[in-house]
Amino acid sequence: MDILIYGTINSIALALMALGFALVYGISRVPNFAHGALYVITGFIAWSLLRTLGLNYFFSIVLAIIAIGVVGALMYQFVLIRVRGMAISEIIASYAIGLAILEGLRWGGFKGSTYTLPVFIEGSMTIGDIPVDFHRILVVGIGAAVVISLWLFTHYTRIGLALRGMAQDERAALMLGIDSDVMAVVAMASGAMLAGLAGIVLLPLGNIVVEKGYDVLIQAIAVCIVGGLGSWMGAVLAAFLIGFAQILTVVYLGTHFQMVVSLLAIILTLIFRPSGLFGRQKELEERV
Amino acid sequence: MKTKFFVVMMVAVLFIFPTNRALAEKPIILGCPLSTAFLYGWDAERGIKLAVDEINAKGGVNVGGEKRPFKVEVIDTRDLEPGVPVSEALLAVEKLILDKKADFILGGPVRSEAALAAMPLLSKYKKISILSTGVLTPKYSALVAKQYDKYKYCFRIHGEARQLVGEMFANFTELKEKYGFNNLFIIAQDVSHARGAAKVMKKVALKKGWNVTGVEIYPTGASDFSMGLLKARKTKTEIINIWMDMPESSILLKQWYDMKIPALPFGSTLAAAEQPGFWKATEGKGEYTLCNVVNAGNAPSEATPWTMKFYNAYAKKWDVEPEGLGSSSSYMAVYVLRDAIERAGTLDSDKVVPALEKTDVMGVYGRLRFDPKSHQVIPSMDPKEGAVGTVLQWQAGKRIVVFPKSIATGSIKLPPWMKK
Repeated sequence: MDILIYGTINSIALALMALGFALVYGISRVPNFAHGALYVITGFIAWSLLRTLGLNYFFSIVLAIIAIGVVGALMYQFVLIRVRGMAISEIIASYAIGLAILEGLRWGGFKGSTYTLPVFIEGSMTIGDIPVDFHRILVVGIGAAVVISLWLFTHYTRIGLALRGMAQDERAALMLGIDSDVMAVVAMASGAMLAGLAGIVLLPLGNIVVEKGYDVLIQAIAVCIVGGLGSWMGAVLAAFLIGFAQILTVVYLGTHFQMVVSLLAIILTLIFRPSGLFGRQKELEERV
Repeated sequence: MKTKFFVVMMVAVLFIFPTNRALAEKPIILGCPLSTAFLYGWDAERGIKLAVDEINAKGGVNVGGEKRPFKVEVIDTRDLEPGVPVSEALLAVEKLILDKKADFILGGPVRSEAALAAMPLLSKYKKISILSTGVLTPKYSALVAKQYDKYKYCFRIHGEARQLVGEMFANFTELKEKYGFNNLFIIAQDVSHARGAAKVMKKVALKKGWNVTGVEIYPTGASDFSMGLLKARKTKTEIINIWMDMPESSILLKQWYDMKIPALPFGSTLAAAEQPGFWKATEGKGEYTLCNVVNAGNAPSEATPWTMKFYNAYAKKWDVEPEGLGSSSSYMAVYVLRDAIERAGTLDSDKVVPALEKTDVMGVYGRLRFDPKSHQVIPSMDPKEGAVGTVLQWQAGKRIVVFPKSIATGSIKLPPWMKK
């Protein structure tokens, strides 16, 4: 029972961490290596609005997520657009932005373990004799809501359909009058907001530390590679695979092997199924 | 006339303000390789800078009749960060010696692995190092004792893991007698000192008749501890012994509170819980957490007349109370070094080493003396006899010292969900 409960929570947390990365790559083919930094900085923005300016928690969260969406759009508009299509340059540029954000935060004094956000609901309950706090239950609910909303958005809204059109065939989308750069900006802003939302939902479970940015990036990359780069439904499935694998590893092998799971998943995927579970990188498979 | 006036004024200034004259002398460079983004790094830096400011304000260090000020050079070693190789810390130490021309190395490296790796470097350049934060591995002082001629430049002024284990068991025994506790669960971070301490804790616990219900080693950066805590709960654990200095340890304590695990969290080098800001950061969920802050002065007590004087001076200068392991010991490292330099009358390492070995200072956390063979500060339960440790417990938003009894300001309390 404990494996089922905490495996589900862990999987949803991983899915939340990875969705933004998967969305951006799926639509604009830009591997956003600043993803972890956006996750962390959203936490610090919300913290500053809440603790320093004394704003209401809900408004702090909303403003922080909007702000990070703007940051994501600006990142694309002013930096990534210039290197679009050059995979290595995209990685270098986005990683450099992420590094600048994280190290800038550290340089600015955001260090230590005292930066925290309050949980949304205090208290805990027992499910079949297993204690679980309300915030973790909420993480599962929010995660599920995000996945469903994302599906509805990409299937039933004009922008969502345009984004899917871009993801499927950029040239065909251009012929149908969809502006690829505008859509890429939208994708980048949405991806950044998803990273921010993940931060807002998951950071109250612990503290906001700069180092988390690097960890989130690794987890997001692992989930997306296993799920198949570009497929956000694949990312959700991979999050469950890795999430449960991590918990099973902790229970049956030992806690210190927990961190190896994601990296091992990347290696095994690249060996046996380079395009991932739902990926469309067939050329990669052919090359391998 | 003008020249004469100028000369007279200059002479007057030199005689009236001798402090300034000291400051004009060539400074003694204190190279501090510290992991500055982490508590054990930045609090050590603050402790060192406070002592340096105080000493310089009083005219500096008397080196063979010449007053010279201290100057601090800090390089971030990043050795407490997950995934940063030890070589980064070694580069920092070497840069301090070769580039910054450090006369002495103070503070770190902070991680045991890095400090052990830096020992041959210190020996190569004949640079005296006084470790004052982080490093707890007993191997450090054991190596000095084993290869004295090679590693005689290495000193440690704060407590080490064996001392901490002894202090822990003194408390565990008391809890056993008072509440009948007998089940111990150990959680450690996957780093040298913590792994070593967990092994020793398990061995000693079994020898003392404790039932060790589990040992969990978490990688640095781990952020979910639910399965470990559930194991502790299933095995009817009464004390969870935590050896973790990563910031994520506060997640562990929050989870412990949210899950209402009926076991007392008793940490050592539990950096997150040592900080004064811990209460606010956890919104009170850290209540009842116990942690060993290694030396007195890192939490409020009256260990010696100097303890609260230091405590208040630190709080005044940095706008925060002394924060944890490394604060008082780094502060005292500067004073002890000054004392040794003044007795040696030179900065020559080979002459300062014997002077340091003869150190006998009543400091912030008791009488400070080094074991002449291992260069480890001599510990004691009585501040009049040696360096005393401190175990604190968070009670109603305050850090209450509960051990050793000679300096305690309160006693251990149990959370309401495990009242016996």
